[in-house]
Amino acid sequence: MPPTNPFDFSRESLLESAIEQDKIPIGYTCNYVPRMLLNVGPLFPYRVNAAEQAGGTEIADIYLSQVTCSYTRSILEAVMDDQQDFLHGWVFAASCDHLRRLYDNLQYLTEPDFCHILDVPHKCGSEAISWFKQELIAFSQALSDHFDIDIQTKDISQRISEHNTLMTALHNIAIQRTNTLPPFSGSEFHRLMQAMWSLPLQSMETILSRIEEQLPNRSCPIDFKARIMVISSVLDQYEWIEAIESNGALVVADRFCTGSIPNMTPCIQTDDPFYDMARYALQTNACPRMMDTFEYRMNLIYQTIQSYHVDGVIIAPVKFCDIWGVETSQIWTFLKSKSIPVLRLEREYGFSGEGQLSTRVQAFLEQVCQ
Amino acid sequence: MGIYSQIQDQIVYYQSWYKNYCNIMHMPIRHGPVQTVKNLHKYPWLWQLAKVNRLLDMVTKGRQGNYRKATAAVVEKVVPNLMQLLDNLNTDTDRLVLHEDMVPPEILFAMGLKTWMSELLGILLPMVDSHSVEKYIDIAENAGIPPDVCSLPKGTMGIILNQEVPPVKAILTSNSPCDGGMASYQLIKNKLDIPMYQLDVPYNFYNERAINYFANELKEMIAWLETNTPGKMDWDHLRAICEERNRMAAYELELWEAIRQRPAPLAAEAVYLSHLWCFNVTPGDPGGTELFKYLVELANDNVQKNIAAVPNEKYRTVLWNPPLLHFIKLFSWAERHYGLTLIIDSMSYNRQPFIDTSTQESMLKGLAHIIMTGPMARHTRGPSENYFNDMFYIYTYFDLDMILVAGHIGCKNTAALNGILREKCRKKGIPVLIIDYDLSDPRVVSHDGIIRQMDRFMENIMKNTH
Repeated sequence: MPPTNPFDFSRESLLESAIEQDKIPIGYTCNYVPRMLLNVGPLFPYRVNAAEQAGGTEIADIYLSQVTCSYTRSILEAVMDDQQDFLHGWVFAASCDHLRRLYDNLQYLTEPDFCHILDVPHKCGSEAISWFKQELIAFSQALSDHFDIDIQTKDISQRISEHNTLMTALHNIAIQRTNTLPPFSGSEFHRLMQAMWSLPLQSMETILSRIEEQLPNRSCPIDFKARIMVISSVLDQYEWIEAIESNGALVVADRFCTGSIPNMTPCIQTDDPFYDMARYALQTNACPRMMDTFEYRMNLIYQTIQSYHVDGVIIAPVKFCDIWGVETSQIWTFLKSKSIPVLRLEREYGFSGEGQLSTRVQAFLEQVCQ
Repeated sequence: MGIYSQIQDQIVYYQSWYKNYCNIMHMPIRHGPVQTVKNLHKYPWLWQLAKVNRLLDMVTKGRQGNYRKATAAVVEKVVPNLMQLLDNLNTDTDRLVLHEDMVPPEILFAMGLKTWMSELLGILLPMVDSHSVEKYIDIAENAGIPPDVCSLPKGTMGIILNQEVPPVKAILTSNSPCDGGMASYQLIKNKLDIPMYQLDVPYNFYNERAINYFANELKEMIAWLETNTPGKMDWDHLRAICEERNRMAAYELELWEAIRQRPAPLAAEAVYLSHLWCFNVTPGDPGGTELFKYLVELANDNVQKNIAAVPNEKYRTVLWNPPLLHFIKLFSWAERHYGLTLIIDSMSYNRQPFIDTSTQESMLKGLAHIIMTGPMARHTRGPSENYFNDMFYIYTYFDLDMILVAGHIGCKNTAALNGILREKCRKKGIPVLIIDYDLSDPRVVSHDGIIRQMDRFMENIMKNTH
């Protein structure tokens, strides 16, 4: 009997099981929300995934209009369809125009029992960290008051340590993508990442250790022509990566909000966990919403290309995202200046247009292989 | 209207036209023929700006008496100031700083620096000639900027990508008013390869913590400017600028009191173009104070004589969002066709007009408050209450009949409030028209298309309200 695929697990049933064990999921939509703080007591962070809803957003279009990004519209539609009722609260980050307006509309339409928005600075210097630290302290108090949890500083430090342990385990797996023949595909890895951001820490520990055990026995599942890096904002469907890989590419690096780069970077700890979380959020995330991290973002991309031996880059911003739209033109210019093949693929949040995607990727792979 | 009044109105127009013409012609005289030819070659948009007297035609058409005098006076203020700004193309260019429209220039003036507002051309050019920024929008899109990004930053980026920006030495910007505007400055910096400072406006800014945070941002900005430009802070000069600004703001408040009257003694460009120019481009200029003083006199004179700016004033409205840049004539048309009077716009309405000039700290806090709560900045940042509370307050305070939203297709964060807006207006019984159009690009929705939307609304909704 062949060994079972360690990447083949049901995220939904694990989520259900966690909820049955009285764990409390809190929805969040952006990496600037510190996951560690949502792991206190019975709470656990659930990164809202509404990709299945992306087919139709009729109600959300009325409120958010058709010119906001389909990620926010899909979430609002899913909420209006009662698909997110299992969440006990929402935490937003004022990170971009669209997510801010999602917060406004969600508040107006559904009035959730717990709905908090974090005021995230657009800079990462000491004043900004200090500002964001105060925000996190206020947020912690709000969580404590609403869910009646005693949140101690040492508990948060402990959660940060656990987060770091998990990220180290993830890194041990992810680093194998730098091998000439990685033992898993990009779509398999992305299934893991989707679970990573939406399941309790303990469930993920089990999954990661099982994968780590079985990896030595695996060989590269794809006969690929080129190693590809994907750069994007939020990408929730592994099928999108699967479609790219079905054309003979291997996605070896995922520089997007729901990917591992740079999210698996551990959080440096001091004796002030609020400061640690604030600094980590502002200085580690590589979102183009930040006004003073452009060099860091470009360096991160270039270093990733080198360490993961990337042959070509696909930039896939979600349509109507202004910050990624403008950033994409800058990344394009940067990569061209380094003679790195690059394909720009504007997409919707949900997976659609597989045929068109395949045509573009095939043409790109021909260019890369030349 | 008597023949004497008609002659008077014609005299107002021609006097103003002549003054503006002289001001325009002084520029090539000051610069000399060789430099002027070089400038026209390097900055082709100068050809468009040379037609700035067209604005006079647009804003005086169909307007009479004091209303015509007021709108002509506003253009008379804009033209010489614009020509002075154009002097910056060739003189003291080592002191020239590119600043975003949401970062008012008081501090730069106080530091002895010259200014060039990045968005100035994107705002003025379509006012003068509807199609004049299309070329720059196309340049930005061809460089990879998505078509759905706001056309104001797109036009601004296009001008810079086409190397038609004056020789600026530093950039000053912020995260206002929107993601597209904020993101565009990284491209601008990369293209110009000069130092840039970006101010960070918090999400929630109606509190002391935010004012302190942002005042500190301004302090850091001053230190940065002193390091990166020849400018040095002169606090006494800043005080003088702020005090002049306060005087101008006091007159503006008087003007607002006057236009609350029904019928309004002045309207449209006399109210919004004066604010747009004097508070954003030339704050601290005594000429601005003089202009507002004159506007108040004209308004009060009309009130005393019970003369309406729009003789058949039937409906009063606020214009939400920036004015329709490429279709400035819309409101003189609406006045004539429907008696629709534009009382005020969201860009002019500023809740915190006075700066405490007693100390350096208080001035910085006052400026911090003004920048954070500046029109558009406060409506597109922060929670939706910032948007709706002001809108409904203005509706009541100015005794309006309807709300007109300039639904610029590139303004996603206001479009994302349209659903709530419709429901709130329905509950309050307020007629609302959201005009679908693009701020700077008439190819998206033509003037005819805008007029059709107005016609449908006025004939189907508003005619049943009176």
